[in-house]
Amino acid sequence: MSVVLGIETSCDETAAAVVDGNYRVRSSVIESSIDQHRAFGGVVPELAGRAHVTTLGPVVARALANAGLDAHHPAIDAVAVTSGPGLIGSLLVGLSAAKAYALGWGVPFVGVNHLEGHLFAPLLEQPDLAWPVLTLLVSGGHSMIVLQSGPGQHEVLGETIDDAAGEAYDKVARWLGLGYPGGPEIDRLAQRGDATALKLPVSMTGPDFDLSFSGLKTAVVRATEKHHEVALGDVAASFQAAVAEQLLRKLRHAMERYDVRGVALAGGVAANSALRAGVRSLADGFAVACHLPTLELCTDNAAMIAAAGLYRFGADGPSPFNLSASPNWQLVDVS
Amino acid sequence: MNILAIDTATTACAVGIATDRGATIVRVLDTDRHHTESLAPGILALLEECGLTPRDLHRVVVDRGPGLYTGLRVGVTTATSLAQALGCALVSVTSLELLAWGAHDDGVRATVLCAVDGRRGEVFAQTFQLGEGVEAVGEPEVARPRDVVIAWATNGAPVTFTGDGVERYLADFVAVPNGAVFAQSVPSLHAALTIAATREPVAAISPLYLRDADAVANFSTRERRS
Ligand SMILES: [Zn+2]
Repeated sequence: MSVVLGIETSCDETAAAVVDGNYRVRSSVIESSIDQHRAFGGVVPELAGRAHVTTLGPVVARALANAGLDAHHPAIDAVAVTSGPGLIGSLLVGLSAAKAYALGWGVPFVGVNHLEGHLFAPLLEQPDLAWPVLTLLVSGGHSMIVLQSGPGQHEVLGETIDDAAGEAYDKVARWLGLGYPGGPEIDRLAQRGDATALKLPVSMTGPDFDLSFSGLKTAVVRATEKHHEVALGDVAASFQAAVAEQLLRKLRHAMERYDVRGVALAGGVAANSALRAGVRSLADGFAVACHLPTLELCTDNAAMIAAAGLYRFGADGPSPFNLSASPNWQLVDVS
Repeated sequence: MNILAIDTATTACAVGIATDRGATIVRVLDTDRHHTESLAPGILALLEECGLTPRDLHRVVVDRGPGLYTGLRVGVTTATSLAQALGCALVSVTSLELLAWGAHDDGVRATVLCAVDGRRGEVFAQTFQLGEGVEAVGEPEVARPRDVVIAWATNGAPVTFTGDGVERYLADFVAVPNGAVFAQSVPSLHAALTIAATREPVAAISPLYLRDADAVANFSTRERRS
């Protein structure tokens, strides 16, 4: 049975995890430099890159120790690492480390697509899940609907034509004078707000599966300029409802079009309470399985990278040691 | 003692090895910022050439800068991860001391100003006194080449300039009447291998950036908005 060490450093999370051949997580360690970025209202590439250099070694050491593996002679079969997409200066740290560990231990290494990693998260909780599965992948960097016919078999049905959903949350939060990142702040405020207080348009109501969020952000700005009296909680609730409605409407279209046995939520925005509730009721309505991975597996982590690496290593073999980072690597280009 | 040396502080990517059978090989793998692509294959090839495996290494020495930020991250991460994987000793050197030793080992003596290209119109510079050995005069600092040149021309003392920061702003440096230029762009890994044999190992290494992260953050945030 294969055992893989996964490494993830594509953004502000520094993560390492050990996953075995049955997609069982033996350890998963996640550190984040997010506190350093708050003041800047977004992830600052140079700060993230510096943090990875000092944090990654100890994170890997803890992941090995938590999995009961020897630090210098770990019983692993490969090292998997995110080689894209992401911040180039951050990706390079993980990639350099992965190559060095593989070289030192005499095992192969494999470069993994970060987005494909997200698609493997549900398997870590349910290795025998029934295919096909429709996955809504939403995060600060990406928003897409993906049809998966099996592990590593995916077709992107539609994706955002402008901002990612998480980006829209951050921009609206900044406009409202809330902290960064915007998702948790808006979600918290929305709990006490009235979602019908502001009339916001639902974009992209057409039959295809593409998404769009920049118009919604503009609509929030216009509406709050016109109606100063609307409470912050009501704005947050209205915005969050409009985001969820667009995503769930598209997901419902896809469920109607494709005969699937499960629906899954992945990416950082999957932590959103409105979205989780909506996906669950959609799954119930279509009588299919609902895969809502725990928050630790939804947000960026290395267990999902190890899982995707396990599959890619089996399907395509190891990566060459001259592999470079691919900051713009699209999911459709993964094969 | 088998020692591996790594240098990624400039646009070049270089590796070196000294074996306990007395062989020393130093190789510049690339000169065009392909640190990520070149380094690991270069290390493997060098080990193979010496009939060694990574497990045979006793020490890894790395140039922690100052220099190119991404290059330093690749080099320092590779060295520290490799040492962590093997459980072997880790030694750190600076790009500026390697330049000073490189000049020293080629016969240069007296006062030497080493300068590494720091981008944004600046160099990372430090002065050394070369005699029997090499002694640093002051700390490494960020400076504008014109200011360095004016200071030395005013001072009037004989000085030798070396490093890729000097090559980048060569016209400025050759204009100093009391100055000479020693052509050297890649920090000396021969020197790194020699130093590593006796220097006390460390538990961890961070790149020597010389500009603090907040300044860089403000800079890059401004850059993105404009
Ligand atoms: Zn992600």
